[in-house]
This record gives sequence, C-alpha cells and structure tokens, in this order.
Amino acid sequence: MKIVRKVQVKNAMGLHTRPATTIVKLLQNCPCDVTFTHKQDTVNAKSILSLLMLAATKNSKITIVVEGDEADVTMNKLVQAFENQFGE
Amino acid sequence: MQVSVEEMTLYGTPICRGIAIGKPFILNRDDFKILEVNIPLNQIQREIVRYRHALQRSKQDIKRLQKQLEIEAASEGILILEAQLEMLQDPLLTEQIEKEVHESRKNVEFVLQQALLHYQQRFQAVEDPFFTERFKDLQDLTRRVFSYLHESGNFSLSHVPPHSIVCAEELTASDAASAHTYCVGAFITATGGATTHAAIVAKSKGIPYLTNVNLDQIKEQKPESLIVDGRLGKLIINPSAETLVSYAKLQDQIMHQTKNLKQMARWPAQTFDGYSIRLSANLDMVTEIDFIQEMGGQGIGLFRSEYIFLPKNEIPSEEEQYQVYVSIAKQMHDQPVVIRTFDLGGDKAVLHHHFFHERSPFLGCRATRFLLKEKSLFKTQLRAILRASLQGNISILFPMISTLSELQEAKRLLEESRQELKLFHPLRVGCMIEVPSAALIADHFAKECDFLSIGTNDLVQYALAVDRSDHALNEFYEPSDPSVMRLIKLITTEANKMHIPVSVCGEIASDPRFTALLLGLGIQELSVAPRYLPLIKNAIRHTSIVEAVQLAEKTLKLTTAREVLQLLMETYHKNVPTDMFYNHTLPH
Repeated sequence: MKIVRKVQVKNAMGLHTRPATTIVKLLQNCPCDVTFTHKQDTVNAKSILSLLMLAATKNSKITIVVEGDEADVTMNKLVQAFENQFGE
Repeated sequence: MQVSVEEMTLYGTPICRGIAIGKPFILNRDDFKILEVNIPLNQIQREIVRYRHALQRSKQDIKRLQKQLEIEAASEGILILEAQLEMLQDPLLTEQIEKEVHESRKNVEFVLQQALLHYQQRFQAVEDPFFTERFKDLQDLTRRVFSYLHESGNFSLSHVPPHSIVCAEELTASDAASAHTYCVGAFITATGGATTHAAIVAKSKGIPYLTNVNLDQIKEQKPESLIVDGRLGKLIINPSAETLVSYAKLQDQIMHQTKNLKQMARWPAQTFDGYSIRLSANLDMVTEIDFIQEMGGQGIGLFRSEYIFLPKNEIPSEEEQYQVYVSIAKQMHDQPVVIRTFDLGGDKAVLHHHFFHERSPFLGCRATRFLLKEKSLFKTQLRAILRASLQGNISILFPMISTLSELQEAKRLLEESRQELKLFHPLRVGCMIEVPSAALIADHFAKECDFLSIGTNDLVQYALAVDRSDHALNEFYEPSDPSVMRLIKLITTEANKMHIPVSVCGEIASDPRFTALLLGLGIQELSVAPRYLPLIKNAIRHTSIVEAVQLAEKTLKLTTAREVLQLLMETYHKNVPTDMFYNHTLPH
C-alpha cells in the first residue's frame, strides 16, 4: 500500500530538533518506507539528520509518502503529529 | 635546486633516550583528515565492529549524561541529548557509513570524516541560521565517537611513513603502543610527563621522546628533516650537512653499543666483587616475553596486569585472566613472576571513565583504593591469580597502598578468595611502597609482607608534591631528590631487619646512573623495562658492592637533586666510560 499526503509545518520554529526527534521516534519500529519531500529534496523520514537538513521552516509544505504494510496507520499518526504541532 | 635553510636548535625535556633522524609527521587530533588508510579486505569487518563499538559507547555516555540532567532538571539539555541519541541510530551514520567502509575500503575514521564534511556543506547551504546551527550537535556527537574510535584504533600511528618524527600536542598510551619502531623514529610533544604511561610505553619500545617542545616552528616551517637527541633533549630543525653526518655517526655507534651489550644476556647480574642481584623485567604486553628472555631477564618483577585491558577495553573474565597469567608463568619456566593487581585510575584512561570521573586522579581513587571499592572486580582477579599460581612461580603485588589497613583489607579479600577456592598453597604477597605514608611506616609493612617493591615514579611525585602528568611541573620532578633517597634508605633498612627483599621497579631502575646507588642503598632486585636489561646488567657488572655502599653514604649527605645527579653521573662515567647513551654533561 502506498499513500501520499501533503501537510504543512505549523510549529513556530519549523521542523527543528524536537519535531524531528518525535518523527524519528514515531517511525522507529515502523515497517514502512517513509519519505518527506520539501521543495526538491526527498529524504528518508527515519533519519533525523536528513529531516534537519530539509530545513523546513514554519508554513513549509511537505509531501509525505508512506509505503508498506498498514501504511494508513503510520500516515494517520504522522498527520496527527503535524496537526498538534508535535505537542509544542 | 638547493634551498638554503638555517639550522636551528630547540630544547625540550628528554623522556626517552636515543637518536633519531627523520621527517616530521604532525599528528593533529583536531582534524582527523590526516588519516586516510587503506584497509585490507580481511580487516574490513574489524573496522565495522570498531565503529559499532564506538557508537555503542557514545550511546552509553549520552544516556548517562541524560540521567545527570534529569536530576538537575535541565529539560532543554535532555532534548538535545535525545536528538543526539537518535542521530546515533540514524541510517546516515549507521548503514550508510558501514556501506561506505565496505565500498571504499578505507578506515572508518576517514569515512566518517568525509561524511561529516559532506553534511557540513549541506547544513551550511541552508539559509535559516537556526538549522545551520544544528550541525553543531552532530559535530559534538561525532567528536565523542571519534575519541572512542581513537582508543580502539590501533593503526593511528602504525601507518606513518618510515623514519617519521611524530609531533603531537600530547601522546596517549595507545598512540605509543600503536607505533612501529621501524616507522616512528621519535616522538616530540608539547605536553606530557616523563612517567605518563605513554612515556613508559615509548621507553619500553626504545623510541626517543622529547616533551615540552614548542611545536609552532615545526608546524610553520614544515622542515624537510629533523634530528632528535633524546639524551640531551635537543631538537635540531633543518640540520646542516655536517650535523647530519656527525649524528649519523653517533647513531651508528649507539647501534653498535646496543648490539654489543646484548652479549651481556649470558652473564650473571653480579658486581665485580661477587655480589649478585636479581635483574628482572617489567612486563606490559605478553608478547614481550620472548624479548625479555633474549635480553636475559631473570623473571618478571612487575607485570602491569591492567594492560590486559588495553586491546579490548573490556574487563577480562576470571578465565581470560587465568589463561594470561598461566601462559606468562609457563613461558617464564620456573622464574618468578610478580603480578601487580590492577592499577586503574591515575593517568590510565582505560576503563577509567566507565567507573568514575575525578578531577585529580593521582590523588584520587586509584589502584588498590579503587579495587577495595570494586570488590567483585578485585576478587575476580585474586581468584585468577590464586588458580594460576598453582601452575608456576607467581607472586602477588598490591599497588598504591597508603595505609596499613588498606593492605590488611586487601589481604583479607585474598584470604576470602582462598577459602572460596579451597586453595591454601603458599603464595608470596608483596606491597608496593609508592606513597610516603607507607614508606614512613615501612617497618609495619615489612611485618605483613613477603617482599616490598618501591615504585619510584609515584613515590617521587607524592614526596615532592609534583603531579607527574602536569607538564608545567616537569622541572620539579626530580627522582634524584635527597628526600627520595632517604625514603628508599628507610624502606630498605626496615625490610632488611625483617629479612625480606626489596625491589625497585620505577623508571630509575632502568637508568644505569642510578644502579650503583640503588645497590648501595640495599636494593636486592631491580625490575626494568626489557630493553634496558643489558645496559643495567652492564652497570651492575662494572661496579663493586663496596663502592656502591660508599656511594650511597656519600649521596645521603648531599642536599640537592642536582648534586646527587651530578655525583651519580660522574661515578657512572668513571665506571662505564664507553656508554654513549648516558655519558654527557647535564643540559642547561
């Protein structure tokens, strides 16, 4: 199963250390391949360094691609995390 | 075309004697790009293991830091560490690096450094300074990983070109251990004491070593050639043709002398008037045993057992220790082997940070003090030694004892281990006297021990209140100080009353200028770095016990370290005029 969704970064500081840590932790035991695309860059969302190197500031648009078993579950978790601004 | 450059002489503190002529190799720890090494195919897996190990240890460090911050309730800090922990598991730092090591067949330090440079560029390309700053977290983290890699990396100095004069800010014991004598001609450092473990290792390999040298000139000029005179503490930059010729000649003569002295191995360690002493060797690495026998060592006077940690940086199990001890005893046949229990702490960074962090390790919890706290570690070793001593002539030696109750407690644990193992065979127990408090009550110690061993390196530093790792204090570190002579005299007098032998195993035992004096002070055994066995035996054979006793009496009346050293040098020069190694005038 492959799902594609677009989300917007709502955090004031953008996708910085705390959100990036949250995302990586959230995907820790996830069997799916997950990528984030911001502008022209597509990176592995399980790599905190790659997420930080995206340098996604507030209001950046990110395309999430989840591919694998129960991709919908993973996608929902991610979208929710973006929605509630990673608990900040 | 010949560029004319001027010859220039710098002075440093000599640590290990010898002459070297070679090219400077600047070891710069701040940037690791200097080390690009091709790894043979069969060693690749080892690189990967080393890397995983370094990541694992970094992770442990960060987790410990996190706990500390939790106590201090520093939540921002915890978050940063949390991110660093994630970075350690990041596929870019794990799978990717391993893949590149496999593909490039380069050492992991180099691969990691290249990756880091690449990420630095990417982070810097970001416009938002907030994200650019995040590179610092990565940098901070990798610095930690590098330091662990460095500890395990035994090729840091093993791949330098032949005849390199290695110039570094400071040297670690593992640097010195990794150096091949055919590649590294000499060491020059800006800081580091004469009795640090790096120095001991360099000395045991016979690599000339100068410290307290201002490296700026070498770094700026990048001279084509250097001459190191480890006898005088002299460093010649851009030597002239004449200087080169005369030093090449001297180097040749010294090589000749060393070769001739090797013939000594067959002769007894006896003064010319027939007084015999036991001349044994200090052992760091088990692989040196052949060399010790070749050099005529009559036993192992000091096995620095903590060196078993060095290669793996892990606590060896009882069985592993037992195997090591038995193999040493067997290889030495029936000659005595003295196993000193672990001397951890002090400047042995090995495992040190696993257990404690201290500001002043030399005056802190080290050696027996440490073992008495870590009872299970101590008893594991005691059991291994007890079992091994059934297989050979093994004695046990407790280091850094400062009070009698410490010795009694150590002996009690030994007794406990005996009960547990039901092993009640005789085993000689000795105590190192390296703290003045112990020297002053040597009579009490003599009653509790089968032998005493004086560790002069520590005795000097504690008696003179000179931290031997502090380079700024090097000029105050004087083994020939009259106070040290009196302490030695005190120990031998009390031990002789109890009819137990005293040995010396510090650096001065390996210095032939001290040999006659030590015999005269009543020392019956010298334990020296293997390389120096022939030189010391030669010194013993060129003195008489009568002269030695007179020399000791004369020395005990002198008032300054310099006077003592002057007298010792004169005496040695008179007795062994042919030695090119130690016969020269005092510098400055």
